[in-house]
Parts: sequence; structure tokens; C-alpha cells
Amino acid sequence: MVVGDVTTGTEVLVIGAGPGGYVAAIRAAQKGLDTTLVEKDAYGGACLNRGCIPSKALITGSGLAHEAGNAEFMGVHADPAVDMGKMVEWKDGVVDGLTSGVEKLCKANGVNLVAGTASFTGENTVRVAHGGEGQGSETLSFEHAVVATGSRPVQIPGFDFAEDHVWSSAEALDAETVPDRLGVVGGGYIGMELATTYAKLGADVTVVEMLDDILDPYEDDVKRIVRKRAEELGVEFHFGEGASEWSEAPDGGYLLHTETEAGDESTYGVDRILVAVGRQPVTDGLDPGAAGIETDDRGFVETDDRTRTAVEHIHAVGDVAGDPMLAHAASNEGIVAAEVIAGEPAALDRQAVPAAVFTDPEIGTVGMTEADAEDAGFDPVVGQMPFNASGRAMTTGHTEGFVRIVADEEAGFVLGAQIVGPEASELIAEVALAIEMGATLEDVAATVHTHPTLAEAVMEAAENARGQAIHTLNR
Amino acid sequence: MTIKEFKLPDVGEGVAEGELVSWLVAPGDRVEEDQPVAEVETDKALVEVPSSYDGTVEELFAEEGEMVPVGDVIISFRVDEEGDAEAGASDDADSAAASDSEPDATADEADASAGDTAPDAEPAAESEPDTPSGRTFAPPSARRLARELGVDVAAVDGSGPGGRVTEADVRAHAEGGAAASGGGSDGDAPTPRPAPTDTGSGERKSAVSKRGSADSAAGAGGDAPEPAGRETTLATPATRKVARERDVDLDDVPTDETRDGEAFVTAEAVNAYADALESPAEPTAEPEPVDAEPADAEATPEPAATAAAAASGTASTERDGDETVPYRGVRRTIGKQMERSKFTAPHVTHHDTAEVDALVEAREELKPKAEARGVKLTYMPFVMKAIVAGLKAHPYLNSELREDEEEIVLRREYNLGIAVATDAGLMVPVVDDVDEKGLFELADEVNDLAARARERKLKPDEMKGGTFTITNFGAIGGEYATPIINYPETAILGLGAIEERPVVREGADGDSEVVPAPTLPLSLSIDHRVVDGAIAAEFANTVMEQLEHPLLLLTE
Ligand SMILES: Cc1cc2nc3c(=O)[nH]c(=O)nc-3n(C[C@H](O)[C@H](O)[C@H](O)COP(=O)(O)OP(=O)(O)OC[C@H]3O[C@@H](n4cnc5c(N)ncnc54)[C@H](O)[C@@H]3O)c2cc1C
Repeated sequence: MVVGDVTTGTEVLVIGAGPGGYVAAIRAAQKGLDTTLVEKDAYGGACLNRGCIPSKALITGSGLAHEAGNAEFMGVHADPAVDMGKMVEWKDGVVDGLTSGVEKLCKANGVNLVAGTASFTGENTVRVAHGGEGQGSETLSFEHAVVATGSRPVQIPGFDFAEDHVWSSAEALDAETVPDRLGVVGGGYIGMELATTYAKLGADVTVVEMLDDILDPYEDDVKRIVRKRAEELGVEFHFGEGASEWSEAPDGGYLLHTETEAGDESTYGVDRILVAVGRQPVTDGLDPGAAGIETDDRGFVETDDRTRTAVEHIHAVGDVAGDPMLAHAASNEGIVAAEVIAGEPAALDRQAVPAAVFTDPEIGTVGMTEADAEDAGFDPVVGQMPFNASGRAMTTGHTEGFVRIVADEEAGFVLGAQIVGPEASELIAEVALAIEMGATLEDVAATVHTHPTLAEAVMEAAENARGQAIHTLNR
Repeated sequence: MTIKEFKLPDVGEGVAEGELVSWLVAPGDRVEEDQPVAEVETDKALVEVPSSYDGTVEELFAEEGEMVPVGDVIISFRVDEEGDAEAGASDDADSAAASDSEPDATADEADASAGDTAPDAEPAAESEPDTPSGRTFAPPSARRLARELGVDVAAVDGSGPGGRVTEADVRAHAEGGAAASGGGSDGDAPTPRPAPTDTGSGERKSAVSKRGSADSAAGAGGDAPEPAGRETTLATPATRKVARERDVDLDDVPTDETRDGEAFVTAEAVNAYADALESPAEPTAEPEPVDAEPADAEATPEPAATAAAAASGTASTERDGDETVPYRGVRRTIGKQMERSKFTAPHVTHHDTAEVDALVEAREELKPKAEARGVKLTYMPFVMKAIVAGLKAHPYLNSELREDEEEIVLRREYNLGIAVATDAGLMVPVVDDVDEKGLFELADEVNDLAARARERKLKPDEMKGGTFTITNFGAIGGEYATPIINYPETAILGLGAIEERPVVREGADGDSEVVPAPTLPLSLSIDHRVVDGAIAAEFANTVMEQLEHPLLLLTE
């Protein structure tokens, strides 16, 4: 034992205070368990500090500016000027409010908070190294642990985040000024959200993507609407090209070099390069092997349906435990982990995890697509409602997109939905509830929806699937 | 050597569980593929479960008398590889026992639910086309309750729209299972259920069963239920539809579930209430003493306990020496079917008597000829032929009323069900296309079906597709009865015993005289919604004419 090393014991040790970890800790404390939460950086994890929340703040700010400046058709004439420094300051305020809220909630629920980096030293012990010189470390023994160490952006060769002009999503959310030209490497959801944001803030945005379209997992008609709109906003796309390196340009900016599979090279003039090609699990420094926990070849910790790792009393939740790598999935897993530890019959038996992409327009999906349903052996029936037939959509000036609902033809059970359009991220919640409850198309269709709202489109899509929509032609 | 696990296959459509009546093999026995290893009684029939492997019995996972959900592992075999390599054993080698029983899903696989992970267990796989990828439609609350009670939610019969599983279904399933294992604790359940880390304290269990019994008490057939008469009630649209269909006021449906402080009613509760309304108030052994003796405070808890106990099937109301027999399986199926028929179709029973001297003679004459061909000739084939003649003349008796569609379907086929008394209860095997078959052929088929019905070896298929039913209670004795229609058929003919009875005939002198003659008493019940009494009488006349003049049967 090193000098200054103190051993303390806890029933439940949670490592990482992101949406997986802090939720697990609070729930464990609510269950009367003696709970300790170790965080090396900031409460709220990636989501609150460098992810969901800051990105949504900037998306809203940039969207507002763009809307106001493009509403002549409604008779609104404005030319908003954006003070990026101020917008980021406002965003930081939002983040601070939320992260200090998380900290307070943890304390109010009786969670012991420890600042430092935890690494396993055995099946029942971790050493927590407190940040900074001479801060020392302590050994904590635990009965159960929850690993919630999250993920970080993947770095690609040739693009070092340490360079000022090479951004990860974290830097893109903390910029003092809007670059004139932004190169975005990767057309996934993070790349597309930030590309849209910067395009609306006035940057010339160029997206290079190795695949031949953006937003890989989504269906073609969904992607197309988002890509079209981004193009209208001035975003330039180059598909089938991978970023290979950057070089300094004579004009003071940089050149982003790309290469196709066939070896054709191109260069694009940029001032900043955002690399958003995916996220990888964070287990370095954690030494999971010391506790007997194995990681797969991509570094994720494998877990069962009760969030347990191969070492039964150690759980893993959130991004570090693999897909779907979303904040709400992390929280759901955190709750299950805490309840399993408390001896309750909890399990990860969610039928579907909704996902949202905050592009313009937004995408919200949950459950199965028509093709998924077929693959799963269902006889799917599909209903669709375009937003251009929605009165409320017309009054917002945003009529692109649709609600599509997928159900099992015979029993009518709702299996999934794909929504692209205004407020899709909100609208998807209703369908998620329907799926979890085992609701049928009839249940959704016979539920009275407020008029005029975008949510009516969900009801109409359900009716359409039953061949009796009022506001669209039934097929 | 490989160990193969074998799950209780889907033995009949819609059957979610079966009682393991007896094991036909023991650990160490050699079995061959298709050899029966167990007898399982479902609510439809007694079936034999065949082995899908050649090998040696390794272990039995269920006790005789236990209720086993379809899909649970009941037996494992040691399959020897050399001898049976081609028998498909080798390609299954990796799906060793452990992969089945130990949930090993990663977080994302968990979404796909704990379906069948063994690619080799064909019979179990066959049970799944209804719910692709093992998906069960049940709200999170019901899924959690299932875990709490150690119930495999996939094995629960859902009562909601499209088979959606409600909390009440899960509770009912759990109670059924518990009763079957003789009240044994969860701990002894030998089958690898998805075992919750902690099945809960005794406290939690008792809370659950209390809710459960209160629930089922509301729906139990006992006394006609009190309408709850609430002002407002919450229910899903699908439940509201069920209520409309069953003509029940949601505010009257008893429930102890709430949402947001408001009473919440499930489709299950609506159905239970509607069923209870339809069934008659069962005669209670004695008038309720509570009202009579208001002064006796101690009497008060009793009726409540009675209702709860009766509903949950516990024995607390038994007097000394009473025996409680589970109302389950075939008995309950018969009960439900009878209840449905009698309370759906207004029955009218028409009685008449055929004088069957000629029929008796005809049979006497044909009997040796039949015997020579190895056929035992009873009166039944003659009656069947006579009925077909009657049905051809009066097609409405060979029909089915489909109320929802507002139509009566006149059946083109003449498939006659024959009610057979068995130890387990009434079974009705069906002889198809009676119009196309000869007397001997019919005799053979009836004998075979009846024999197998008694051994309870009928296949579910053999009890389906009837258009009209015959019940030969006379074989045991008696003259007249009021048979219950085998719903949704429209009519049933009951046969009394053929015996000599006094009949009035014209004597040699032209005067009337009473003489002994063989007669066949007939009891015909009809669904009065579909046909009127006059038609019933005409049909009976046609049948009698055929029976009294058996030569006419030749014209059929
Ligand atoms: C730009 C961006 C936008 C996003 N938008 C969305 C969105 O809109 N919706 C959505 O659902 N998701 C979104 N995400 C993803 C979301 O942020 C993650 O899924 C979520 O944060 C995962 O939560 P977590 O608890 O698993 O891990 P994290 O939030 O990553 O938290 C892990 C925590 O553990 C700490 N930690 C790591 N190792 C140690 C250690 N050894 N000792 C102590 N502490 C440690 C870290 O400091 C961190 O605070 C977005 C992500 C990004 C980058």
C-alpha cells in the first residue's frame, strides 16, 4: 500500500457519471444500497458536457437564426447576426445548470461522490487516483460494481485532435467563432447534426463520407430528405471518399485530402476539419482485466440481459457496453443494473430503443422497419402520412417528411416507425410507448390526438396502415 | 457423446402448457427417434410426445402431474455420435446443453428476447411461427411481473387483443403453474426457467397473490358479479371495443387496477365480467349467513374468504372429508364449450320415437356379413346415414350461424361428430363425409375413433370440422335427454336406448292395440336462432322415416 492510501468499502461502486453511471448510482441509493460514484472529469459524462445537450443547444441557436432570416414567405424580414461566443456561453450555462443538477441529485439521494480515475486492482477492489500532483489515491472495496466509463471519438491516422484545426465533436461544440469553411469527415448522425448547424451559422460545409450515402443505418427515403435539405443549406457532399490527410494551403487555410477506393485523390479547401467517424469505448486506465472482465475485439465490455459482465457482481452499462450507444439506452441499462444489484427481477427486455437525429428535418425511429419486420418473420403492413398533408406542419412552414408506421398485419401490433420531419424526435415517443405496451394500430388510431398537431400524423399513419386514413389516399 | 435437450413441443394449436401425465421412459433407457417418451394432457387432448433422437435418456426435468409450459425443456438425451452421425446429431454438436439454459445475451441481443436459441430443437421451433423471433406482446409491467413470478412470458396465454399478455394473464399463469406442482415452492421447479436473481421475499409474493385472487374473484363464475357502477373508468381503445362487443358497461367492470388514481380496466377483466354475467349464479350451498346474522361480527370475514379461496382454487372452504379436484385440462375445456353453447344458442329440444323393427332386422341380417369382413356393426352407421338424409332435406340443420358477419353458413359437407364418454370426459371425434361412405366403412371408422377417444389418443385434427353431432347416451341407458349443441353447429341428435317398449299399432282385427316393439327415442336440440321448431320436427320425421324403412337408406 502506498503512503496516503486509505481503504474504504462500499456496497455499490459506480465508475463514470454519465447518463449510464449517475442514473445507476441514484437508483442504487434509492434502493437503500451504500453507493459510491467515481468520476474523473465532469458530472453528466459525454452527454451533458460534450454530446447531446451542447449539440442540441447549438442546433437550436443556429436553427433560430436561420429560421428568422428565412421567413420572408411569412412576411418576416430579418437578417440575424450570430455572436458565436455568446451562443457558446449560453450553451455552457445550460450545461452547468444540468451538471450541477446531477451532482445535487446524487448527493440528495445519498450517493458518495469521489473525484478521480478508478482502475480495478482485483475482483472487489479499485484504486482511485485523485487528479493532480500529490493528491494521492485510495483503494475502494466494493460488493458490486457498475462500469459506465462511456466512449470517446475515434481518431483516424493523420488527423490528431491535438491540432487546433482538427476538431472532434467536443471542439466543434466549443468554438469561439464560426469557421468560413468546415470540412466534415463522416456523414453519420454526429457529423450530419454538426454539418447542418455550421451550415446554418454561415459556414461553407463540405462532408466527405466513405460510403455512398449519409446516415448509413437509415432507409433511403429517410436519408434522401435529410440530404436534400442539407444540400439546400449549401452543404456539399462527396461520397465514396475517405479522408487521408491534411496539408497547409497557401491561402492560410488547409487542404483536406481524400481518396476513393480506386485511388483517385481530391482536395478541398477548409479552415477547420471535424472528424466524426464514430465512437470507441473508454477502458484505458480502468484495467478491467484486473477484475477478470474481458473486452471484445473492439474494446466493448460484453454483458448479459441483466447487464452483468462475465464477472457476475460487476455490471457494465452505456456506451462501454456497446450498441446502441445512446444516452437513454445508457440510463435504461443503469436502472436495470441497480435493480438487479438490489435483488429485483429487472432485466433488459425493452422491445425497442428509439433513436433521434437532430438534423433538419429531424429523424426519429423506433423498432423495426418494414424490411426488419419481414426478416423477423412478421407479415408487415405499413401506413404512411406525409407532413405536407398535415395542417399543423403547413402552419410551421416545414412540410418535408413523413410518418411511417410498421405493424404486424394479422394482429395489428405496432412494430416500428420511421419519422422524418419537424419534431420527429418528439413524435417518436408515442410509437415507442405503443411498441412497449403491445398496442395495436387500432389502439393508436382510436386514441384521439389533439388538433392541430404534428402528432396527428402518427394517428393518420396508423389509420393509413388499416386502409382507412381520412387525410391521405389509402393504398 | 452429446447431450441433447428436448423441449415440450407445441402439441396442438394454441396450447400453451400441458400436464405431464406420465413418463414412458426413465433415465438410462434407450430410445429411438419417434418413440413416445411422455404423455401430456393439454386442455384439448392426451398426446404422446415422441423423441426426436436416438440415444439414451439422460435426465427428466418434470415431475408427473406437473404443468409444463410449451417450450420448456422436459428431458435430455445422451446421443451417441458414431452410430447416429447421419441422424443429424453432429451438426448440432455446438448447441450443447448450456447454451440453452443460461441466458448469455449481450445487451443488444437482449432486444431480440429470450427466444429459442437451440437451432436443433425442431418441435419447439415449430411452436413459434405465431410470434416471430420469439417476440411476446406484453407491456413492461407485465414482463416485469412475469420475471418476479418466475414465469416465462412467452408461455403465457394472452387474453388481450391479438393475444397481448396482461398482468392478469401472467398472474393466472403463475397460479395455474403453482397449483399444478402441488403448491411446491418455486425453488423446486426442475425446469430451467429464467430465474430472477431473487424471486422476492415472502412478503412480495403474498401481496401479489392477494391482488391475483381479488382479480379472479371478480371474474369467477360463482355469484353473479356486482356491477361496480363507477363514474369513470380508464381503458385502452381496444378494451373499450371488447366491452362494446360483449355489451358490458366499462364502469360496471370490477377492477382493482388503477392508473393515475382512476380505475383501470383491462380486456381480460371485461371478458371475465361478461363471462360471469352470462353464467348462471351457481347454487351456493347455503344462503349467505351474513345478512341473516348482522350481529355476528365474526361471520363477516368468511364470505370474502370464501370468494377469494374459491377463485384461487385453494381448499380453505372444504368441509372435513371434502375433496377438491382441479378444474383444468379436458374438464375445463368441456365446461367452457358447454357454457358457450348453452348461453349463446337458445336451445329447443324436440322429442320423438322411431319404431325400428325393420332396422333391428336389417342389422341382424347384415351383422354376420360384417363380421365376416371383420367389422362390428352397430346401429350407429344406420343412424348416421338417416341423419344425412335428414340434413340433405333440411340443410339449415347442417349449418353454422356467424353472428358477427350476419350470415348463416349452410355446410356442404356432412361431417358427423360422435360424442364419446371417456374417463377424462366427453370427446367428440368427427367422421368426415358420411354421405360418401358405406355402412361398413362408417362402422369401422366410428369404432376406431371411439376406441382411440377412450384411450385419449385422438389427434386434435380428428375432433375438428364437424357439422352436426350425435350423442348416444342410450348406450349407457335412458330414453330422452336435452343435449347441448356442439357449438357452433346448429343441431345435435341424442339417441336413447333401442329397447322394446309398448307401442300402439293396428291389430289383425283392425283395432288399435298396445304391443311391444323395438323403439329408438330421439332427442333433437336445435339452435332456435337458426331454425324454428317446425323444421326440427320435419327433420326428425325424415330421420325416423329412414330408420323405420331402412331400405330407404339404400337410396342415400
Ligand atoms: C456530439 C454528440 C451528440 C450526441 N447526441 C446524442 C443524442 O442526441 N441523443 C443520445 O441519446 N445520445 C447522444 N450522444 C451519445 C451520448 O452522449 C452517449 O450515448 C452517452 O453519453 C453515453 O453515456 P455513458 O454513461 O455510457 O457514458 P459517458 O456519457 O461517456 O460517461 C462516461 C463517464 O465516465 C467517466 N470515466 C471514464 N473512465 C473513468 C474512470 N476510469 N474512472 C472514473 N471515471 C471515468 C468519463 O469521464 C465520463 O464522464 C451524442 C454524443 C455526441 C458525442
